Amino acid sequence: MFRFDTLPSAAMLWDGPAPARKGAALEYTQELEKFLAEIERRAFRMAQVALRDADDALDVVQDAMLKLTKNYASKPSSEWRPLFYRILENGIRDLQRRRSVRKRIMTWLPGVKEDPESEAPDPLENVADNTAPIPDILMQQQAMAKLETGLRALPARQREAFMLRNFEGMDVAETAAAMGCSEGSVKTHYSRAVHALREQLGEAW
Amino acid sequence: MSEQVNSSLEERSRELFHDSVENLDMRMRSRLTQARHAALESTARPRRVRAWWAPVGVTAAAVIAVALWVAPSSHHAPVSSVDGQSIEDLDLLATADENGGDTMEMLQDDPDFYDFADKAAESEPAA
Repeated sequence: MFRFDTLPSAAMLWDGPAPARKGAALEYTQELEKFLAEIERRAFRMAQVALRDADDALDVVQDAMLKLTKNYASKPSSEWRPLFYRILENGIRDLQRRRSVRKRIMTWLPGVKEDPESEAPDPLENVADNTAPIPDILMQQQAMAKLETGLRALPARQREAFMLRNFEGMDVAETAAAMGCSEGSVKTHYSRAVHALREQLGEAW
Repeated sequence: MSEQVNSSLEERSRELFHDSVENLDMRMRSRLTQARHAALESTARPRRVRAWWAPVGVTAAAVIAVALWVAPSSHHAPVSSVDGQSIEDLDLLATADENGGDTMEMLQDDPDFYDFADKAAESEPAA
């Protein structure tokens, strides 16, 4: 008669590479963590340039991290970077769209002139800093602020192309994958971005 | 000339950007690290949930299977088992008051039972 207790346990039947799989999963997670740790600050700064808000930038970066780890972690690691930036740029665009809708609604509402969050500077930015900055650092900060203003004035696709190519150091093919467009479009966007920035920042640059 | 100017713009903007990344304050670095850990944790969590639910699912399926197997047999077992038949007889006797007529009709169809009952009554000493 067939008896269940005569069956070998599942562990005895399994002759596959279980410990190796565990090891591979660990290695895989470590590789993903290394990738995210390497990329997160630049991604945050790029998002901050586009959104002008640190908290919003952090939100979209975290969201991009979550989506990458949940949906695309199984992809080859060479594809992670363009995928991550594609998710990030989608997040930035979504947030900007929501802001513009909110702004439009606020202007329609009686008694509300403008969304106070959209244009008003952060009051904390105007608080005097007790630590006197070194002139070089101050100059750098001013130059960066000017660059950020110039980047924000660019059309979104030009800004994306410029930041991915120049700041992130992606090649044309990778940038095209991240932006979801052809390599020719990347070249056009990038070239226009550089010329527009040149116009805005002046010859001193 | 224009190419050179553009490349200096690209180079300077790149340097400024990387400096700004390096100078990120500790609070923001810490928040980014937390965000990364949360993202990595979220991928580990569903696996654990699945591993926890697997034995629970198997156990629940087994319980349901046993319940389905046992429950109908409690109603129909008397048909085939001797013990079950005696329980059915007890049921008949218990419901004799309610369905007395039917029970008597049934007993009348069983002459052996009457023979047995007569003999039993005769052999019983008078009270």
